[in-house]
Amino acid sequence: MDVFEYLMYGFQVALTPQNLLIALIGAFIGTIVGLLPGLGPINGVALLLPFAYALGLPPESALILLASVYLGCEYGGRISAILINVPGDAAAIMSTIDGYPLAKQGKAGIALSLSAMSSFIGSIIAIVGIILFAPLLAKWAIVFGPAEYFVLMVFALTCLSGLVSDQPVKTAVSALIGLLLATVGVDAVTGVYRFTFNSVSLSDGIQFTTIVIGFFSISEILIMLEQTAIGQKALGQGKRSLFNLKEFTFTLGSTIRSSFLGFIVGILPGAGATIASALAYTSERKLAGKDSKFGEGDLRGIAAPEAANNASACGSFIPMLTLGVPGSGTTAVMLGALTLYNITPGPQLFTEQPTIVWGLIASLFIASALLLFMNISLVRYFAKLLSVPNFILLPAIAAVSFVGVYAIHSTIFDLILMVVLGIFGYILRKLNFPLSALILGFVLGGLMESSLRRALSISHGELFILFDGYITKVLWIMAGIMIVLPLIRWLRSKRQRS
Amino acid sequence: MPIERIFSGILGIVSLGLLYLCWSYVAPIAYDPLGPRPYPALLLLLLILCCFYLVIRPKKLAELLNLGLSRTILKKVGLLMLFMLIYATTFELLGFPIATALMFFLVGPLFGGSLKASLATGIVFGCLLYGLFDYVLDVPLPLGLFN
Repeated sequence: MDVFEYLMYGFQVALTPQNLLIALIGAFIGTIVGLLPGLGPINGVALLLPFAYALGLPPESALILLASVYLGCEYGGRISAILINVPGDAAAIMSTIDGYPLAKQGKAGIALSLSAMSSFIGSIIAIVGIILFAPLLAKWAIVFGPAEYFVLMVFALTCLSGLVSDQPVKTAVSALIGLLLATVGVDAVTGVYRFTFNSVSLSDGIQFTTIVIGFFSISEILIMLEQTAIGQKALGQGKRSLFNLKEFTFTLGSTIRSSFLGFIVGILPGAGATIASALAYTSERKLAGKDSKFGEGDLRGIAAPEAANNASACGSFIPMLTLGVPGSGTTAVMLGALTLYNITPGPQLFTEQPTIVWGLIASLFIASALLLFMNISLVRYFAKLLSVPNFILLPAIAAVSFVGVYAIHSTIFDLILMVVLGIFGYILRKLNFPLSALILGFVLGGLMESSLRRALSISHGELFILFDGYITKVLWIMAGIMIVLPLIRWLRSKRQRS
Repeated sequence: MPIERIFSGILGIVSLGLLYLCWSYVAPIAYDPLGPRPYPALLLLLLILCCFYLVIRPKKLAELLNLGLSRTILKKVGLLMLFMLIYATTFELLGFPIATALMFFLVGPLFGGSLKASLATGIVFGCLLYGLFDYVLDVPLPLGLFN
């Protein structure tokens, strides 16, 4: 079958009534989670993951649900950014800069509809990118052996330090904690119990849902205790609720450029939508020159970051589907969803599980179309949710989080562990240790160790296998560059300061 | 920031303890050349090194952290942590509807709700969420005292 036939097959999967309904529910919930300040895609996906599993959804439907939530969040984040000047999620921070001034000028409706359109264009460009490049990359990655996999994961983790953070050592600490948490439980090869402290509940390892909900939901509730953003009055939509052709053509160039930029950033392991939107905004601002109205309500200032963050979200599916390495924190959680179903992500996924891969790709198209419709026609109703008071919203999130963890194994131990991990996550966040690195470490941990041990079994314990072949060499060099990059950045900024 | 150094120091000491623990992980029969010990030991060593660096790094290299924690917020955060632990331990004992109502009643005021409103929403959400999950979504939840 060629790509087109596979895509048609994907649409057959995505257009079944059940999957269509799931995409609609996912897009709806995603938009709501996205627009609520403080809650981002990783929280939404983490909250829904245990339910997808506990409800017995087939893996393709579970992934369609989570992917729709992910895209929905990227759409929803802009609503609160524009209407109350508080970004719904980190990727929408840039949308506040021009979005809120536009709302104050009575152009909130135009800003909301135009940004929904640019989000849609960003998604579609990136989905086409997935269709063109993912099968090629998967075909290339099929030659990867355990040694290549191990080095690839080292590269993915170094990418986090090199690209994402201005504090590479803290990122490394987070990633190492994640990798260590993945070693808890019985060692599959030798049967030795590691870090279980004689607890039967830990012998199976720490459940993925317990980790994700603890770190991303409980810690978020603790963080939100310090903020009172929700409950604010949103600005009105203004006279017009839809952009006109002139406004659309004015922003089209920025939208397309930012979509491509977002897509490329999305492919890089670890670099997510937040970086994409910031890069797109700053580059468009530079391109527009000093005479532009950037910062005071320029429509390009809202179109560019929104196109980029959606393109990045879609782009981050490429490394996840082809290499089994997530492109963002949220796809790391989705990768964990696959492992819950005993599906090993990687290049074989394209040939062994075409229903999942192509069903997911087709559902991204469908979810994007649904989101465009929802985010233009229903935006005024979504905005009303911003007035839900915190004393209702946050305990409700806590209750749903607890149910999510309880639904998997029905044990109190998991709930207590989740709260303890949440408190630890809160401390890490307050001290600026990035949790996305921790979750990436946890997701990659098991596969990283098994790849290393398989590689060394092949070479009878000789380490040369990790440096043998051009793929491992290139990956080591790239990992080396990622380690050196923060040092170069620091030296450059030091020189600029002096 | 001293708090960052203290935290990194504690994390480093805990990692050192775990490394000591990890040293006993030896398989009775060698199934693979690496065994269960070296991988976690290597990770712990790296973690200890990173923590050591964070403890001793010069002040000019450390980032400026604004924790934004006043005494009132710290007290609220501490209470919320305690209430979350109470919710976790009473989840099965009291049952989902009562434990949830209790959690709303305790947590709501921390987020600006009145006691009466928190209790009312707690009772409504406890019953509503139980019905939604147990009957509609088929996710069984404990009934505790109602059993």
